[in-house]
Amino acid sequence: MYFQYTPEQKDLIGSIADFARKELNEDIEMRDHEGQFSRSGWEKCAEMQLMALPFPEEFGGCGLDFLTTVITLEALAMGCRDGGLVHAIATQLLCGIQILHFGSEDQKKQFLPGICSGGIIAAQAITEPDSGSDAMAMKTRARRVNGEWELNGSKTFITNAPIADLAIIFAVTDDQRPALGRVSAFLVEMDLEGVSRSRPLGKLGLRTLQNGEINMKDCKVPGTSILGNEGQGALIFNESMEWERSLLPAVQIGALDRIIKTCVDYAKERKAFGQSIGQFQAVSHPIAQMKVDLELGRLALYRAAGMKGAGKRATMEASVAKLFITETFKKACLDAVQILGGYGYSTEYGLERDLRDSVAGTIYSGTSEMQRNIIAKMLGL
Amino acid sequence: MTTKDTIRTFIVSELAGEEGTEIKDSDQLIDAGIIDSMGIIALLGFLETEFAIQIDSDELLPENLGTVQAISDLVDRKLRA
Repeated sequence: MYFQYTPEQKDLIGSIADFARKELNEDIEMRDHEGQFSRSGWEKCAEMQLMALPFPEEFGGCGLDFLTTVITLEALAMGCRDGGLVHAIATQLLCGIQILHFGSEDQKKQFLPGICSGGIIAAQAITEPDSGSDAMAMKTRARRVNGEWELNGSKTFITNAPIADLAIIFAVTDDQRPALGRVSAFLVEMDLEGVSRSRPLGKLGLRTLQNGEINMKDCKVPGTSILGNEGQGALIFNESMEWERSLLPAVQIGALDRIIKTCVDYAKERKAFGQSIGQFQAVSHPIAQMKVDLELGRLALYRAAGMKGAGKRATMEASVAKLFITETFKKACLDAVQILGGYGYSTEYGLERDLRDSVAGTIYSGTSEMQRNIIAKMLGL
Repeated sequence: MTTKDTIRTFIVSELAGEEGTEIKDSDQLIDAGIIDSMGIIALLGFLETEFAIQIDSDELLPENLGTVQAISDLVDRKLRA
C-alpha cells in the first residue's frame, strides 16, 4: 500500500493547521483552568467551514470525502491546543453524519444546514448514569402519546450538552420487541418543554469541552422526530460508533504530531552535561517511539476512514485504530512530560494539559477494554 | 450450501460460543442468547465479505437482522438486485 496526500489535502493540512495556531490558542490556559468553552473559536471554525466538511453542498456542506475530513480534523488538532474545542467540532461532524445517513429528507433539510454553519450545536446522548459500556441497558423511555413521543429519562457525560441546540437521544421505545429493535433514536431540540440540562461537569482533562446531563421529564417531541426507523436505535448506535472511531482519533494524531515537534525542539535546545539532551538515548528513544506510534496510528486511522468513506464496514479497523492511537497517545503525553521535566510538569508548554486530555480517549467512544472485546469478537473468539 | 445454511454455520461456529447449538430459522438471535449485540456487528462484516454485498443504512433494520430467516432473505434480495 502506498499512501500519499492529494494536493488538495496538502493544502488543507497547511492552511488549517496554520489557521488553528494563529486563531484558536488565545487564553487557552485561562479557559482550561475555568472550564470555559471558546464560543469565538467555534465561530471562527464555522467560518472556515470545518463543520461542513463531509456534507453535500445542497445542505451547505463542502462535499469532501470522509478521509479528507479526517485529515483536516487532524490538521486542526496539530495547530489547536484547545483539545476541547476540537472534540466539540468532531462531535458536531459525527451528529451530522448520523443525520445524513439515517435522517429523512425533511430532517436533513431542517438540521444539516445549521450543523454545517455552526448555528446549530449538536450532541449525541447515549450514556446514562447507570449504563455506560452496556449502552443498550438504558432506562430512558419514549412512549407514543396522541401521535407524539413522550420522553422520560436522564443522560450523562454528554459532549456539548450544556451548549447544544439539538441532541440525538436514544431511548427504549418498546420493551416487548426483540432486543435488537427495542431502542430508537430521536432528534430532540433542546429548547423543548420538559428538557433540562445540568451545568458543565468538572473533569480531569478536556476541560473546555462542555459535558453534562440532559434530563427529560414528559418531554413531548413530534412523531416525525425519530431518526431512521422505530426500533433502529441499536443498529444506528453501532454504525455511529464505527464512524466515531474512524474520526475522533484524528484529534490524538494531530496533537501527537505537535507534541513530537515540541519534544524534538526542546531536546535539541536543552543542554545537560555539555551536550543537547537529545544526544542521550534516554531522551531520544521515547521520542523515536512517539514517531513510530504516530506513523502506525495514522495509517491505521486512514485505513479505517478510507473504508468508511468507500461505504465499507470497518468494525475491526476502526477499533484497532481507536485502541492503538488513544493508548499510545496517553503514553506519549506522559513521556513528553518526563522529557521536559519541570517544564513539562508546569503549564508553560501545555504538555500537562495534553496529558490530562489524553486520559479521556481510552474511555469515551468505547473504552479500550471494549475495543479489545470487539477485536476479539471479530477474530472469532 | 444455501444462503441460510452458510449464515447458520457461521453463527454456530463463530458466534454462538457453544458447539452444537441448534438454531431455528425463526429464533430471535439475541433474545435466545445465541449471539450478543457485538455478534451482530461481526455478522454484518461476515455477510458483506462472504456474499460480496453492501448493507446500506436503510437496510440496517431489526426486522432484517433478527433471525436466520430474515438475514437470509435480506442477503438473497441483495444478491438478486
